[in-house]
Amino acid sequence: MAWMSKNWTMTGIIMGLVVTLKHVLHIGDRPTVTVQYPYERMKLAPRFRGRHAVDEDACIGCGICEVNCPNSTIRIVKYKGRWFPELNLGMCMFCGLCVDACPMNAIKMTQDYELADYTRESVVYGPDRLLFKRGEKW
Amino acid sequence: METEELLINMGPVHPSTHGVLRFKLRMDGEIIKECTIVLGYLHRGTEKLAEMKTYLQFIPYTDRLDYVSAMPSNYAYVKAVEELADIEVPLRAEYIRVLVMELNRIVNHLVAIGSLLMDLGASTMMMWGFREREKALQLFEMLCGARMTFSYMRIGGVREDLPDGFIPKLKEFIEDMEKRIADYEQLINNNEIFLMRMKGIATISAEEAINYGMTGPTLRGSGVNYDIRRLEPYSIYPDLDFKVCVRSEGDSYARYIVRIDEMRESLHILRQLIDNMPESSIIATQKYGIIPMTGAPYTAQTYFPRIFTPPAGEVYSRIEAPKGELGFYIVSDGTTKPYRIKIRSPSFCNLAAIPQLVRGLKIPDLIAAFGSIDVVLGDVDR
Amino acid sequence: MWTGDTMTNAYELIVNILTAIGVYDQIYNLFEIFGMAYVLKILIVSVLIAVLFAFVLVTVMFLTWMERKVVALVQVRYGPMVTGPRGLLQPVMDGIKLIGKEDIIPAKADRWIFTLAPFIVFVPALLIFIPIPFGNSLIISDLRVGLLYIIAISAVSPIAVLLAGWASNNKYSLLGAMRAVAQDISYTIPLALAAIAVVIFTGSLSTVDIVNAQGDYWFGIIPKWFIFLQPIGFVLFLIASIAELGRIPFDFQESESELVAGFFTEYSGMKFAMFFLAEYAHLFAVSGIVVTLFLGGWNGPVIPFIPVQITSLVYFLIKTYAVIFFTMWLRDTVPRMRIDQLLNIGWKIMVPLALLNLLVAGFLVTAGVI
Repeated sequence: MAWMSKNWTMTGIIMGLVVTLKHVLHIGDRPTVTVQYPYERMKLAPRFRGRHAVDEDACIGCGICEVNCPNSTIRIVKYKGRWFPELNLGMCMFCGLCVDACPMNAIKMTQDYELADYTRESVVYGPDRLLFKRGEKW
Repeated sequence: METEELLINMGPVHPSTHGVLRFKLRMDGEIIKECTIVLGYLHRGTEKLAEMKTYLQFIPYTDRLDYVSAMPSNYAYVKAVEELADIEVPLRAEYIRVLVMELNRIVNHLVAIGSLLMDLGASTMMMWGFREREKALQLFEMLCGARMTFSYMRIGGVREDLPDGFIPKLKEFIEDMEKRIADYEQLINNNEIFLMRMKGIATISAEEAINYGMTGPTLRGSGVNYDIRRLEPYSIYPDLDFKVCVRSEGDSYARYIVRIDEMRESLHILRQLIDNMPESSIIATQKYGIIPMTGAPYTAQTYFPRIFTPPAGEVYSRIEAPKGELGFYIVSDGTTKPYRIKIRSPSFCNLAAIPQLVRGLKIPDLIAAFGSIDVVLGDVDR
Repeated sequence: MWTGDTMTNAYELIVNILTAIGVYDQIYNLFEIFGMAYVLKILIVSVLIAVLFAFVLVTVMFLTWMERKVVALVQVRYGPMVTGPRGLLQPVMDGIKLIGKEDIIPAKADRWIFTLAPFIVFVPALLIFIPIPFGNSLIISDLRVGLLYIIAISAVSPIAVLLAGWASNNKYSLLGAMRAVAQDISYTIPLALAAIAVVIFTGSLSTVDIVNAQGDYWFGIIPKWFIFLQPIGFVLFLIASIAELGRIPFDFQESESELVAGFFTEYSGMKFAMFFLAEYAHLFAVSGIVVTLFLGGWNGPVIPFIPVQITSLVYFLIKTYAVIFFTMWLRDTVPRMRIDQLLNIGWKIMVPLALLNLLVAGFLVTAGVI
């Protein structure tokens, strides 16, 4: 109660009300910052680590990415007569160690981040979905 | 009149336990007689996992300890390994590391203050904090491609150099942040209801706080001038000018004020780093084992081996993470994988004081005290 | 004929309008042939009440939207934007969702009381609107004890909250219910005392009389609203009514971060929706009462050529929404208090202040200020 007799003017609350009102009226560089996600998207940084893509010509199927992956996400499978990585994105934590490890610089991380899917099988990305040709857009 | 004690299970699914924590409360009406903490709902066995990963592969797992401030966790681990293997880190790499860590400290404190106010029922601060946090996260995204789980540090340096346009954006952020902190203080600091809820609540004396092993802002709120950046300087902190923020009250309000002050100090450190950023390599060029393939681009791994074998031995290395002292104890048997890793996480030790803090208080005070301690359950359960 | 001073409630207004159009006599005669003239009256009043309730429900839906928009504005967000223009149809969608939800009754709950409680909350929240004057002659019934009726009706809701909390058989619910009761009891007293100070000035409990007493001007400019005579009373009444409503900073009954959802933790579907609607109906009602008692009700400058019923309704709504906006604005600024602090303030500060205010009001009346 001693506290109350000191603070009965409630100046702190009034100051707070002023600053919230400034936000309501957008006074002084306090704009709305929401991005309406499905309708508009934020620009991703070039280094964004999304779904992987494998350069079809560069990949030699050596399996170094497989060895380096902390979560055993990567498996090397046969595709069109050659060996390519297959990624189970359900297990991937997008750390980028496979990209660092690749001796041929064949594996990349794309800007594709909407990877939700309906089944466990469909988050396993085989070479058919990962490969791209150099110069093509992945 | 005889009254019955009420046993309340707060959590593991409860709006304000910051994840999956469970309080067993023995209550007399609204007054907490006894509080027991039940842990382990988010236990992922990180320490055991480390024994099955190479030194490099464990870096992404450190992101997931304290997912609100992953950079310091990253750094604490690589620092321990570097001390183990006695690796010299280039100066620019150290500057970048300290820069991202201080940026992460701001992010962490924004979340801490935001969720504290959210628990007290004022959701506005949370949203304002997240507005600034978003800007910082975009900076992180520019830098390393991830927003929360960075895995940016590498043994001997950092993964990538600062991208073009990073420093101007960072300067913009610092400018902006100064104004926003003023806004926060206007909204919260003198708010009578906030003071009523925080002042003199969950007070812990300096001695008791030390005995509980509390560190970080929670300890400094009790008046102990304890900051590992000062006491056991690492990286480039000896060259930097910053002040250790201490408050003597030891209550929830002091812990909150320490966080606000630390954000200001971090901004101050960031400015110094921007001004003095040196030019050099970003990763140590010592070579162990495998020689990198020719023609590969300039990445961390071309200059540092994929298979890394530190000498046998053990090391304990600690840093001042935003939440307190974060230490990694690593035992190496000279193979590619650590023999044992023990993580001394600040959240876990700080959380231990909660039963003592809230005895005799009420449920709303428990929420306020818990919020002011700032705990991330990923860090507690590991 | 539009501005007839004899019209005291909406029934007479309708009768006058029908007479002016020239159809009332025919309808009246039609009913009188069967000797059932009273049925006509009942019919008209029923229609009026239906219109009022429909209006209240639409307002409540709008208020949920407005609440979210105001919160969003403060928090630099947009709020609901997808359904309808600027998300205006969001409350409708929420309603559809809540109707479609499974109506869960916990196994250990007291089924009968559990089901009854939402209705006991909801019905008084609508009944409270009966003596609120929305405009000149826009009132269902000008009770001579209007203010007493309002306070009595709003005192029902803590009982329902207690029933809900008890019947849920959940510890959080029980704590929330206990808090709600303690809070409502301790804040009804300063609320009533602050209202009585107004009654001292008007000498009547009728809401219409209270509004009419505020119709004049001092020196031709300052409106004779009771807020200027009773600033302390106004602040006390506003704080007490926010506490009665259970909104932040006094939302202990549901205090989300402590008691999950307080007394309606276990409710879902339509029952939850009824608590929700009742809360906002209460907000609207209480804001209306604040306007009636202290902000001059529907009084405002007279605009020529527009019927006074319409202008007065507009004035009333503008003032009410201003009060509602204030409560929402306050909600975004301050944290929640603690229940013991709230009770301390209620009993140790607000009740003595309200009594003091009553004394001041007595002196002012004796001195002949009004």
